Amino acid sequence: MKPDTIDRHLPLPPAFLHILIAIGDGERHGYAIMQEVADRTAGRVRMSPGTLYGSIRRMLDDGLIEELTRRPAHDDERRRYYRVTRFGRAVAAAETDRLAALLQDARATGLVPRKA
Amino acid sequence: MRLRDRLFAFVLKLYPREFRDHFGADMAAAYREARDDAAHRGRAALPAFWTSVALDAALRAPGEHLMLTAADLRFALRSLRAAPVFTLVAFVTLAIGIGANTAMYTIVDAVAIRPLPFSKSSDLVRIWEKNDVLGIAQFSTSALNYLSWRERSRVFEDLAAWRFGSVTVATGNEPVRVRRIEATKTLLPVLRTTPLAGRNFADEEVRVGGPKAALLVEAFWRERFGGDPSVVGRTIVLDGVAHTVVGVVPDRGLTTPVEIVTPLVIDPAQESRGNHTLSTVARLRPGVTVAQARQDMDRVAQQLSAEFTDDAQWSTAVASFYDWLVPPATRTTLYIMLASVALVLLVVCANLANLMLARASARSRELAVRLALGASRARIVRQVLTESLFLALAGGAAGVALAWQSIPLVRRIAAGLLPPGGHVSLNASVLFFSFAISVAAGVLFGVLPAAMSKSGDVAAALNSGGRGMAPQQGFARRVLVISEVALATVLVSAGALLVQSYSRLQHVDLGFTPERVTTAMIGLPDERYSTGAAALGFYDRLTSSLGAVPGVEAAALSSGPPLTGANTGMPVRAIGSSPLGSADMQADWRFVSGNYFAALAIPVVHGRTFDRREFGDNGLLSVVLSQTLARALFTGDPLGRQVRLGNKRVFTVIGVVGDVRNIGLATAPRPTMYFSTGEFLWPAMTIVVRSADEIPVAQTIRRTVAALDPQLAVFNVQRMQDALADDASQPQTTAWLVAGFAGLALLLAVIGVYGVLAYLVVQRTREIGVRMALGATRRTVTRLVLRHALWLTGVGVVAGAAGSTVLGPVLASELYGVSPHDTLTMIAVPIALLAVSMAAAFVPAWRATRVDPLVALRAD
Repeated sequence: MKPDTIDRHLPLPPAFLHILIAIGDGERHGYAIMQEVADRTAGRVRMSPGTLYGSIRRMLDDGLIEELTRRPAHDDERRRYYRVTRFGRAVAAAETDRLAALLQDARATGLVPRKA
Repeated sequence: MRLRDRLFAFVLKLYPREFRDHFGADMAAAYREARDDAAHRGRAALPAFWTSVALDAALRAPGEHLMLTAADLRFALRSLRAAPVFTLVAFVTLAIGIGANTAMYTIVDAVAIRPLPFSKSSDLVRIWEKNDVLGIAQFSTSALNYLSWRERSRVFEDLAAWRFGSVTVATGNEPVRVRRIEATKTLLPVLRTTPLAGRNFADEEVRVGGPKAALLVEAFWRERFGGDPSVVGRTIVLDGVAHTVVGVVPDRGLTTPVEIVTPLVIDPAQESRGNHTLSTVARLRPGVTVAQARQDMDRVAQQLSAEFTDDAQWSTAVASFYDWLVPPATRTTLYIMLASVALVLLVVCANLANLMLARASARSRELAVRLALGASRARIVRQVLTESLFLALAGGAAGVALAWQSIPLVRRIAAGLLPPGGHVSLNASVLFFSFAISVAAGVLFGVLPAAMSKSGDVAAALNSGGRGMAPQQGFARRVLVISEVALATVLVSAGALLVQSYSRLQHVDLGFTPERVTTAMIGLPDERYSTGAAALGFYDRLTSSLGAVPGVEAAALSSGPPLTGANTGMPVRAIGSSPLGSADMQADWRFVSGNYFAALAIPVVHGRTFDRREFGDNGLLSVVLSQTLARALFTGDPLGRQVRLGNKRVFTVIGVVGDVRNIGLATAPRPTMYFSTGEFLWPAMTIVVRSADEIPVAQTIRRTVAALDPQLAVFNVQRMQDALADDASQPQTTAWLVAGFAGLALLLAVIGVYGVLAYLVVQRTREIGVRMALGATRRTVTRLVLRHALWLTGVGVVAGAAGSTVLGPVLASELYGVSPHDTLTMIAVPIALLAVSMAAAFVPAWRATRVDPLVALRAD
């Protein structure tokens, strides 16, 4: 995977990163992603179905996520499930590195307090 | 379904179809669950949820469309770049088509669409005098009748009247003659015009013997006084009399283009009801209809004709103010020009649709592959339409640039058509029009290829090896070419008729010889030429000194030479036996000097023209008749017979002259009476000079006048041939524009025919190869292609000829001396079109004969 193809996706829109995090530990369907994001952020981030599926469409096009061809047996047959691709993981890693570096810089200059 | 489910469904509907097909069901479920979840979290969460739904509808759904369009555009650009010739042809023809439509529309907009510059102009009406006995539909009114109308009518907010004329202004060292109206004080209020500076006339200024006031009109004020507002209060000298400038009127605030307005002072003691000199405009009271105004004025007119003998035969006509400023005939001409340029754009669209289909069939394999790979058909339709719309908008933008470039030319075309304050410009409404026709064009030439791409058979296209064209596509292309040929036939027929009409107008028998004739006007101020004898003496000296200048063949005087004079008419009857009995007939009249006929080379058929016998107060009362009038009034020799005019005066016929087209090229000569300028003069007269080619006539006239009276201004100096050219300029413009559009349409149609046949040959290469292998000669092959071409164009020209026949009457008003169903045109144009198309078909036919059977058969 060439770094420049990854860089093309950075900075990642926040909604993308939220979605990637939500399915980081396994596949989920759309509504489950919305719930997961809301839970993780204690309700501060609530995506509308429009934001969610608009992001999913673009992430599918970009190859960050993929749709499962076989659905888990326990769930509703009609729902589409999504999981992170390898490329998606690479992009997420690059994005979080970028954010970590940013955070470090902010602390180094005293803009934000250092971690206790 | 519950209301909220319906709402969710509605929001989903706003998304692109492809998106909906894929995510719709999941999204609907997500909406339901998110809503339930919000309800669980408490009442406060619900508004936030519905806000997010609204945002989805308002922003995210359009956003998805936008992203799809962006992708389609990238695709369109790529495919257009891959076909540079097609792209160039499409771009150029669209630019020309949309540009020409835009340019033409700027005129239509300025003349017929933009409202008149007068506030609530729909409440304005013109009031005319009417005389059914004499067959006069619209005539000026007398000052006394104007006063009576104003006093007795009940339907108008107010009435205003004016008289058009000219006046000499002494500014600087050279006096200038300018146009002026004498207007009532009510004119500005009725038109709702407010002065740019100063004020309207005051009561005492319109009274007899009151102070002399004048209003300057904006353009003249800017040109002569540099737009200085302090001009108000200053004194200017008009025809030798000092006037105080009381205000400045905007150019757009008057109905007639003039430089100066002075008060119309009516002295009832000096006026007669038979003296029709005033134009009248009135503003209806709010809520009053034109029909009610007509009724009321009929009542007033009946009273007046009962009370005054001068009004006995007269009634009134309340007419549209708008039609007076923008005559229906002008609108017809404009709409014909706009329609012909719109037809050109239609041909452009048909041609492009054709080219797009040709490309689509070349691309059918690519499309089939994409369909097979899962692209939805809707998606492909959308892509084709994006491509055509993009082309149309790009062509439209270039067209607007072209139109913008041609504005000076367009202004020249529109010059004679504009109402007051009318101005040709590329304004917002024109730009909107250009945008709208660009979109319409894009849809028009894109929709057929788009529909065809949808119905294409995937398997067939994949199997055909890219050669294949669905049969309905071939049919569509034929229909398109046939329509192109038909539209071109309609336009070429119209162009041919208009050009013939114009050429007839150029060769019409005028009744006089315009070559080497120059006319100029002079007005004598009353103050210095108060008696008829003084004016007579001046003109006598002027014509004899002019006549003595070497190179001048004749110098004559007239109240109105052909094409420039006012349209004057009066009833006349023969005294004694006449084919008309004792009935009146209406005849035009002019005052002329004896050598007027020599100056214009109007033949004297019988008798003589005016000389010293018709000069001064005691001169003989003689009349010279035009041939038509003499024939209508008298059976035998008219010389020595007498006529009585509408004003009861009796004149003796001394001569008969040839008929002259006084009104215009297209108007048949009217019966005309000529009276002697030795006895009758107007405040402004026209000098008519026939000269040798080489002398500077205008200068000679100016110098001669200045030698006699340095304070007089010579104005409206014009070569008679220029007046003729002016008169023919509108028919000329219409003819050449329509002919130009026709040429363009023809060219495009020929390209269309060529394209379809060339494609046909490529498509049937194999078949032709087989035929040739089986012994078909080149001749048979040529005939095969030509027969196809003949069939296509034949159907096209027949349809076009039928169209021309149906549309013919629309053109009738524009045609002079040629019928809209002129047989020769109706036969010659289709034949010419057939010939041209067959010529275009020869190239593909020739190429067909070059097919090598071996190569053709090996192709698969």
